Amino acid sequence: MALKGLDIFKLTPKTNCKECGIPTCMAFAMKVAQGALPIEKCPHMSADALATLGEATAPPMKSVTIGAGDAAYKLGGETVLFRHDKAFISQNLYAVNITPQNADEAIPELLKIDYERISERMYVELINVAYGGDKAAFLETVKKALAAGRTLILEVGDPAAAREALELAKDQKPLLNGANPSNYAEMNALATEFGVVLGLSAPDLDGLYDLTAELEKLGNKNLVLDVGASSIKDAFANAVQIRRAALKDSDRTFGYPSLVNAAKLAPGDLNMQTALASLFTLKYGSIIVMEKMGYAQALPLYGLRQNIYTDPQKPMRVEPGIYPLNGADENALCATTVDFALTYFIVSGEIERSGIPVNLLISDAGGYSVLTAWAAGKLSASSISRFFKETAVDDKIKNRVLIIPGKVAVLKGEIEESLPDWKIVVAPNEAMGIVKFLKDMAS
Amino acid sequence: MPFKRTPQQFAASIKEVTIGTGDKAVTLGGENVFPLYSFDAPISNPPKVGVEFSDTGPDRSVPGIAAFYAGADSLGDVAKRACDMPGADFVSLVLESADPNGDDMPIEECVALCREVAEAVSLPLVIQGSKNVEKDAKLFEKVAEALQGKNVLLMSAREDNHKAIAVAAVMAYGQKIGAESSVDINLAKQLNVLVSQLGIGGENVVMNLGTAAAGYGFEYVASTMDRVRGAALAQNDNMLQMPAITPVAGDAWSVKESVAPEEDFPEWGPAEQRGVSMEISTAASVLAAGANAVILRHPDSVAAVSKLVSELM
Amino acid sequence: MKLLFNRVFDGADEMYAIAEKTLNETVAELGESAPINMPNTGYFLANHYSYLGKRVTTMGELKACFPEVKSWMRHEQRLGDAFKSGFGTVMAAEVIEACKYAKSSEPYGDEYHGHLSDAEVRELGVPLVTGDIPGFVVIIGPAPSDEEAVELIKGYQSRAIFVFLIGGIIDQAKRMNLSMGFPVRVVAVGPEIWCAAHIISFVNRAAMIFGAVQPGDHEAYDHYTFHRIRAFVNAFDPVADIVVACGGGAIAMGFPVITNDTKDMWPVPKSLIIQEDTKNFIETSLEARDIKIKVTKIDIPLAFSAAFEGEIVRRNDTWVDIDGSRMDCFEWVRTLEAHEVEDHSIELIGPDIDSVEPGSRMALSYVLEVAGKNMQSDFEPVIERKFHNFLNCVEGVMHTGQRDIIRMRVSKTAYEAGFRARHIGEVLYAKVKSDFESVVDKCQVKIYTVPEQLKALRAEATKAYDARDARLLSLTDESVGVFYNCILCQSFSPAHVCVVTPERLGLCGAVSWLDAKATNELDPNGPCQVVTKERVVDENIGIWEDVNEAVNQASHGSLQQVTLYSIMVDPMTSCGCFECICGIEPMTNGVVIVNREHAGMTPLGMTFSEMASMTGGGVQTPGFMGHGKQFISSKKFMKAEGGSARIVWMPAALKELVGAKLNKTASELYGVEDFVSKIADETVAEDVDGLAAFLSEHEHPVLNMEPLM
Repeated sequence: MALKGLDIFKLTPKTNCKECGIPTCMAFAMKVAQGALPIEKCPHMSADALATLGEATAPPMKSVTIGAGDAAYKLGGETVLFRHDKAFISQNLYAVNITPQNADEAIPELLKIDYERISERMYVELINVAYGGDKAAFLETVKKALAAGRTLILEVGDPAAAREALELAKDQKPLLNGANPSNYAEMNALATEFGVVLGLSAPDLDGLYDLTAELEKLGNKNLVLDVGASSIKDAFANAVQIRRAALKDSDRTFGYPSLVNAAKLAPGDLNMQTALASLFTLKYGSIIVMEKMGYAQALPLYGLRQNIYTDPQKPMRVEPGIYPLNGADENALCATTVDFALTYFIVSGEIERSGIPVNLLISDAGGYSVLTAWAAGKLSASSISRFFKETAVDDKIKNRVLIIPGKVAVLKGEIEESLPDWKIVVAPNEAMGIVKFLKDMAS
Repeated sequence: MPFKRTPQQFAASIKEVTIGTGDKAVTLGGENVFPLYSFDAPISNPPKVGVEFSDTGPDRSVPGIAAFYAGADSLGDVAKRACDMPGADFVSLVLESADPNGDDMPIEECVALCREVAEAVSLPLVIQGSKNVEKDAKLFEKVAEALQGKNVLLMSAREDNHKAIAVAAVMAYGQKIGAESSVDINLAKQLNVLVSQLGIGGENVVMNLGTAAAGYGFEYVASTMDRVRGAALAQNDNMLQMPAITPVAGDAWSVKESVAPEEDFPEWGPAEQRGVSMEISTAASVLAAGANAVILRHPDSVAAVSKLVSELM
Repeated sequence: MKLLFNRVFDGADEMYAIAEKTLNETVAELGESAPINMPNTGYFLANHYSYLGKRVTTMGELKACFPEVKSWMRHEQRLGDAFKSGFGTVMAAEVIEACKYAKSSEPYGDEYHGHLSDAEVRELGVPLVTGDIPGFVVIIGPAPSDEEAVELIKGYQSRAIFVFLIGGIIDQAKRMNLSMGFPVRVVAVGPEIWCAAHIISFVNRAAMIFGAVQPGDHEAYDHYTFHRIRAFVNAFDPVADIVVACGGGAIAMGFPVITNDTKDMWPVPKSLIIQEDTKNFIETSLEARDIKIKVTKIDIPLAFSAAFEGEIVRRNDTWVDIDGSRMDCFEWVRTLEAHEVEDHSIELIGPDIDSVEPGSRMALSYVLEVAGKNMQSDFEPVIERKFHNFLNCVEGVMHTGQRDIIRMRVSKTAYEAGFRARHIGEVLYAKVKSDFESVVDKCQVKIYTVPEQLKALRAEATKAYDARDARLLSLTDESVGVFYNCILCQSFSPAHVCVVTPERLGLCGAVSWLDAKATNELDPNGPCQVVTKERVVDENIGIWEDVNEAVNQASHGSLQQVTLYSIMVDPMTSCGCFECICGIEPMTNGVVIVNREHAGMTPLGMTFSEMASMTGGGVQTPGFMGHGKQFISSKKFMKAEGGSARIVWMPAALKELVGAKLNKTASELYGVEDFVSKIADETVAEDVDGLAAFLSEHEHPVLNMEPLM
């Protein structure tokens, strides 16, 4: 159980010395409780207090970092099994597996996936290179993958091959996925030597548990657990039980991120891999390896991941601005709504369905839905007129009809006052009515 | 020290709802574990996959769908063909033409179409309405009457029209209903309470907790379903223990990612595979969140999702 | 003089005798093996099937049941016997009708409807169960005149009440060329009283289909019909004994009988009602069976829509300006007894708005008088507050303010479209009847425009407003029987539950205990539910077992326990919409309160938004709590830790807002005068040192209190 802020406060020196950079000890304690600051930031904590707190505030699931520089990614550190309980923290990563045979085509293909969606860059973060017994071919492939500038997963259980691959890739801090019950001592030595995260696998969950315990005994807590590829059923059972043991049953041995190799679970079946990647995005895969990631797979998967890893308390927002839909130009109608991403998507989708050119004006409404924004004073006649002024809407658009959301019909009069040149029209209450409404207006 | 397993097997369970008749009837629900957690306890009724087509026929603008239904011209033929789709457990007719803001097909004609489909199918039938509350209330009453004895599932009864639909469909004509709410656990519960106050037991009600395609506010769908399952199993809230059904196809096949032509986004590749992936991804996700049935359109999606389910059981 | 029971018993005997004779003749004619197939039903002779559990399919079986029918007609002077005889009469009537159908499948041809098919039972049953048809009436006639007969039938039709006719009234309707039949919801059942068996057959089949009542379970039928079938009987003078006997059955099923016959008639409250004026049959009947007619349209010459809510009527476009700031204009809801309210009466007392020059001012007030079994005076302000919203939805009408500071403008366009004072009444009537359906049974509106009269009325209204305010002040957590929860915010804060008590309004500041109570009454399955407070654990810090259970359930298990009066021990959670947050300031042992509007730093070293980030989301954070502004002056504000004397810092604007009330509370609780002046604000301290100095300088009471932790 996480400590409450007050419990932490009691252990602080209560001097408000501000050396931690926070004005008061109380504010500091509250931030530590939230996980926003480490307790060590306070230079005056007693050793006893630190020990007490260290134990109590240690996260149930460790977070590990793979990659380096701009391509460093944090995995794990989750505290809840369901996002509604708080939020998921480290979003899962997608990897594409390449082989010596397909590397020349596969690498340029995966690099094509690079686009932006609601202020987030979407791309394949990781490349998985598996050792197939031919060391030269393996190392050649590693070199090609390195050239792509993405973080690598080295799937190799042969310590000699692993060492040579690590020599090539060590600066990029790849994930070394290859420790098993028979080679773990050597692999651990390698991972420690090169300062990389070590991936563990075992024939079954009990074996994996023992192996993890062994590695911890050797002092390595920089681990990722491979859920295995014997069957889809087992992989799912393992992924769930590993995460559940750590977060619900306080079994910290399993408190590590997981790796799911969908490419191995359904070789040659990209549709099944899409299904698996979706399943494991919701249920506890930290790294998901695919055979291929084309736009057809990326568009739903990245959208899904972006949704699932949204903090329930901080809804997704779109940038304020003028969005011309259906080829709208300066003579097209204007409609306005809030910057809450879901509202934007639904409203713009319906407008697109109507086929009628509309300039959708999105003003800053704090990322809330229409009624919430209105109730919180974030959507008002003045917020809309401020947006009109700042964005110079009057200069950019000639049409003088503005459609406002039906749920804030109550603002009509005020908006008329603040935008006297504009004719204000009230839209229906529900987005479902937009198509008919726009068509009726246009006719 | 071996790994200590602590299965989450709950004292409460999801209610069972059966649709269709005879040996092709399917039962939804019945499990006492979280969605797909067959490793915690056996799941007696694995999630089911349904095949959707509109009253205007399947969407033949998608090559794979057109090829599958080639030669099936009448709606009855389409329905029969849908039953043969590999992986299909049930079929679903969408009364799209009934929409008063669209074709506004008269109720008698809709009922005739439903009869034609019901006569043709060998699998259980789920009928989706026009999404217009007033029209659906009248429409479903007549459809329920016309299909007496078929034990069909009528989607959807919403807060504004649940009385007429629930009373007519379940009480007067012995059908099943889908209680539809919009992505909010409390609204879902309130609707179930209202339906139960009419004297209708949970064995007649399937929940549609709201839908979204992956990427389009899907987190609300996932969290609502997570919470509903949590309340049903961990809290033993019997007003949330009805099985859930999610019509995935409608959303999956209408977002930009699935419909934008390749000419507009050449790097995206052919639209069909994008639609299939969107349908599969969304379906796999709602199954993970607790759907006991999903409704899909494309033969490839139906194959992949039904295979996923059987692999996990 | 004949007693009511004896009339029932005599009538039952009479029906039995007719049945016996018919039965014997028919058996003689057709033989015992002759089949009885009522057309298009799977429920045999539905009344026999329901009450006796017997499946009658032949004349012989009918005959075999007959002694059992007789056994239902015991003649002791007991209510139970009278009721049971009524049921026996219904079965005897069914025997007579069954014999008719044994001889012919269409004994009535096109003239009368007779037996109802199962399909008709379902078709009529669905809207009856859903309430789309609010109820049905059985009229046993003839009415005093043909005209009156048709007027009565049409009166019911216009209220969507389904009408069954028996006897002479059918001939009257035919003479008047009234269109009849299932589609127009007027059914001529048959010429004789025993045709009533078909209606009871319909009722009993509805109970089996819609209520899953099992054949033979007589009590279950009673229960179902009483609670679910909203039916009643209108019987015209003269009412024969045999009709009275049938009426006994109807009453036993929960269907009141209304008659204008006074001879040997014995009124029974809510069951047998004498209404000598047949013009009032409808209203008397609806009231007796608790039937409320839904108002579906608003009778005004203008559009009514939420889209007009934000419309502003400008001075130049104004026809009349009803200005409460300069004249006696007010709005007022008051509760009266049912007999004092005539539903849908709208009365204009004084000149209309067409009596003024365009653009001028006028005094106008409206009083909405309501009655209802579930109406409570506590709902008056809740209804009244909605007027603003209702009237604003009228195209061309603008309304602001409340009570006696209202202002309303009617535009010239609205006036030209025909809008007059009485339409204000139409809007309020229709909206109040539909939005407050569960509490308002009857509603009338009086609109006053005579200045002299307004002065007196306003004084009366003000008295009522004052009484309400006094009632609000007198409400304490101890003086009420239950609390309410509110889960309106769960859509974005899934784990959060507010417990709303008289002394602790919702943390958003928008939901008072009275609001929550009204919300619950109006929408019993809605966001506000009753929270009992019977099993107290600790009244000082506010722990009740039942409150914990309610919170646990409403949060779907996220929250196990809360205290109502402590911020240190299991404080109430917050969704994120709180008006204010209080947090403890450990150096001074006090609490700092900051409101949402205050952007600056607090002596805690955190701003409002920093505090909000750890207090919201339904998480319990001891030492911190979100709350409404009005809660600050409540005597329950952190009562467990010593109450409002702990407040050491508040933004100046907030002090200004709650100062007067807080001073009063501090004076009553601690005998400290001008307490607010001892509380620091941003003008004197934004850090702890400045705060401590200010407190000792002003001898803040917290200096003498126990440490908080």
